[in-house]
Amino acid sequence: MNLEYRGTEQIPAGLDKVWTFVTDPEKVGRCFPDVIDVVVQDPTHFDAVVQVGVGPVRGKFKLKVELMPDAAKHRLDMKVSGGGFGSAVDMTAGADIAESGPGATTLAWSGQAVARGPIAAVGGRVLDAQAQKLIGQAFATVKERLS
Amino acid sequence: MSTQATDRHAIGVAMKRKEDPRFIQGKGHYIDDLAFPGMLYLALVRSPYPHAEIKNIDIADAMKVPGVKAVITGKDLDAAGLGWLPTFHGFDKQMVLAIGKVLFQYQEVAAVFAESREAAADGAEAVQVDYAPLPVVADPFTSKTDKVLLRPDREQKTNHIFHWEVGDKDATARALASSPRRIKERLWFQRCHPAPLEPCGCVAYFDTMGRLQFHVTSQAPHVYRTALALVTGIPEDKIHVISPDLGGGFGNKVPIYPGYVCAIVGALKIGRPVKWIETRTENLTSTGFARDYHMDVEIGATEDGRVTALHVATTADHGAFDAAADPSKYPAGIFGIVTGSYAFPVAHAEVDAYFTNKAPGGIAYRCSFRVTEASYAIERGMDILADELGMDAAELRSKNFVKKEQFPYPSALGFTYDSGDYQKTLNLALEKIGYKQLLEEQAEKRARGELMGIGISTFTEVVGAGPSKHFDILGIKMFDSAEIRIHPTGAGIVRTGTKSQGQGHETTWAQIVAEELGLDPQTIMVEEGDTDTAPYGLGTYASRSTPTAGAAIAMAARRIREKARKIAAHLLEVGEADVEWKDYKFQVKGVPSKTVTMKDVAFAAYTNMAQNEPGLEATFYYDPPNMTYPNGTYVAVVDVDRDTGEVKVRRFLAVDDCGTIINPLVVEGQIHGGLTEGFAIAFMQEVQYDAEGNNLNTNFTDYLLPTSLETPHWETDKTVTPSPHHPIGAKGVGESPNVGSPAAFVNAVIDALSPLGVRHIDMPITRDKVWRAIQEAEQSKK
Repeated sequence: MNLEYRGTEQIPAGLDKVWTFVTDPEKVGRCFPDVIDVVVQDPTHFDAVVQVGVGPVRGKFKLKVELMPDAAKHRLDMKVSGGGFGSAVDMTAGADIAESGPGATTLAWSGQAVARGPIAAVGGRVLDAQAQKLIGQAFATVKERLS
Repeated sequence: MSTQATDRHAIGVAMKRKEDPRFIQGKGHYIDDLAFPGMLYLALVRSPYPHAEIKNIDIADAMKVPGVKAVITGKDLDAAGLGWLPTFHGFDKQMVLAIGKVLFQYQEVAAVFAESREAAADGAEAVQVDYAPLPVVADPFTSKTDKVLLRPDREQKTNHIFHWEVGDKDATARALASSPRRIKERLWFQRCHPAPLEPCGCVAYFDTMGRLQFHVTSQAPHVYRTALALVTGIPEDKIHVISPDLGGGFGNKVPIYPGYVCAIVGALKIGRPVKWIETRTENLTSTGFARDYHMDVEIGATEDGRVTALHVATTADHGAFDAAADPSKYPAGIFGIVTGSYAFPVAHAEVDAYFTNKAPGGIAYRCSFRVTEASYAIERGMDILADELGMDAAELRSKNFVKKEQFPYPSALGFTYDSGDYQKTLNLALEKIGYKQLLEEQAEKRARGELMGIGISTFTEVVGAGPSKHFDILGIKMFDSAEIRIHPTGAGIVRTGTKSQGQGHETTWAQIVAEELGLDPQTIMVEEGDTDTAPYGLGTYASRSTPTAGAAIAMAARRIREKARKIAAHLLEVGEADVEWKDYKFQVKGVPSKTVTMKDVAFAAYTNMAQNEPGLEATFYYDPPNMTYPNGTYVAVVDVDRDTGEVKVRRFLAVDDCGTIINPLVVEGQIHGGLTEGFAIAFMQEVQYDAEGNNLNTNFTDYLLPTSLETPHWETDKTVTPSPHHPIGAKGVGESPNVGSPAAFVNAVIDALSPLGVRHIDMPITRDKVWRAIQEAEQSKK
């Protein structure tokens, strides 16, 4: 099952502060919804364990995350892959970060994900709604931590 | 209808099934009832990816799970020479556990052995597999382009598996070109799954003699023994296969699955019994599916409705491995039966099969090797032709039937039909359903804009594989066998190479013995499924048991009768030539008062045999001279709700001709079961994959089985045209209702929608498909 999302978020913080935050694996990892554990491997790689529940399919996902920051362009790309309970998720996301005023930053992001296994089959009907909810939660956490 | 079989009359009696008290009281003995001291449980790690390279498998965390004893991967098996398993068709092989890459979602990747089922599942969850996704091929038409090569392990660097054809291609093309009327339609017989209520499973252990004791849900235990010997190198005498009571099979329990091989390897490696029972999801997603044939059907006809030629070109989706359980010489099974009940002067059928990133299979779901696909193609095709010609569907069929006097009939595609009286069967069905009145009712309803449909299917199928000159599985000829022993008291035991999964062999086999020998069927025990005791046979599937093993039983009983005649002569104090078998006992010719029963003879065979060899037993291996050709007329009457698309099956009549009927009650039960499955296929069942290769029907909320609430009321009747070459004239019936009914249901729905201009809807005919078809038809008229 293919999922594709994009959006723009206004963050009430300066560009440098936002950039430092989103390129810190520990901080980014802790913004994942329902995160249980984050283990940072190096400045651009971390492992995360998250609780997942889509319809009747529930369990823990182990995710491997790679951050690919381009400081010159203020662009951050991210690759997430992993899964659990016979399901798998592969996701790529990217964000262009720009100053939108004093102490305000715009984060224009997009992401594509492919879900496989029971989470796509059984959870298919509610997966889209669930994914949008999780994205919303993730950005709400980012805003809260930065403001 | 008589329900009491006696020692004077057993065949044709509707005696209650001998096995039923056991099942009704919950005393059946199934694979998961088995437990042995020290038994371990096996759980399989399965791939969430339909196509991916395996970068690494890390078992360290799994080994730390309490209770986990061992984990094996494809690499371990490959090192032991057990990485690949030949498929039953014999021309491909299949990974036991994935080696290098996975080719379908839910493919077996690693095996975890643990002290409990729970620990095994936890261990499987803890195995870390690093996958690199590869492009997915989710349909045979994409596969055909060879843009993504799925099986680099094969010598042929293409996704194309085989091209098979039968018939006269050029003559068919010429006849079609010169036919004044022609129809052409693509019909997809969707991928479905037999979904037996009991999934597959096994228990394996090596006994104190080092002998493999292998209890397994198998429809063909003898073939398993031979195949395991060939694959593992274990001498065949050191393998004992036991198939216990089976909770349904429908073809799903014919192939050998990776879980079985892993259980045996685990038992050998760890030295303890290993049990593997698959989950419902595992059964639906990884074991043998059925059908998935895309058929382009073309029929030519004269203006007055005489068929002139048939051409069917099929694109088949075989999944990741060519595991279609078909006889060696028949990669597309016996699809050549596609000319059905009709006297086509010329025909040509071809099948091209392709690999895709879907589960492997292509087994018969209550069907004799692609006969259901063929029957659906011709019976839908005839209805489309009737619509094109503006002819009544029954009249068109009648006009083109193979006539009673034409049997044995050589079909254009190489079969010799044994017997039948299609017109008689059709006439009985039309009379019984009240066809004329239904047509009148339909005309009135159409005038009011109501949608009512009548669907007919006058199918002929082919079962009883099969004659050794044509049919083999892995080289083993498709005969079957029976061994009968009559004990001193006149009770006895019969063993065969087949294996009942609900067909009622414990009753019907006893009836054949009883009829042939004048004994009480209640005292004839039937035993199947144990390779140490039963004679070798190819098993139960494809409606072959009665045509092959049923015949072997009759022939073995006749051997017993020949021996018994000698003892009878001794008891009657006459020469053997003066003894005749008459009225279920031996009598002195011309002296009806001087008789001995088989019971008398049985006792004498052990107590007073004179110079004759003691004992009373015989074995017969039956190599059928031909297949059998059961047939029937099915009529469905449906009402379609114009606003919601809901289809209500108001009536369904099945008139079957399966030759001599051994037990009418068992036959009716078989027909009810098969019709219910045919109904499910027509309206409910499909194994769907999305474009990324996700299996979307992984459980019974998404893959539907009809309950008594959805299932229509079944009306049945029969005609009896015995098979001339079968010892008792029986043809087999298990699959007929599944083979014949899908077309009747679909024909009825399309007949209901035909005033709107709807020509075809692929199965399953769900209400949203019907609703959409109605909407589109109405839109296009505006």
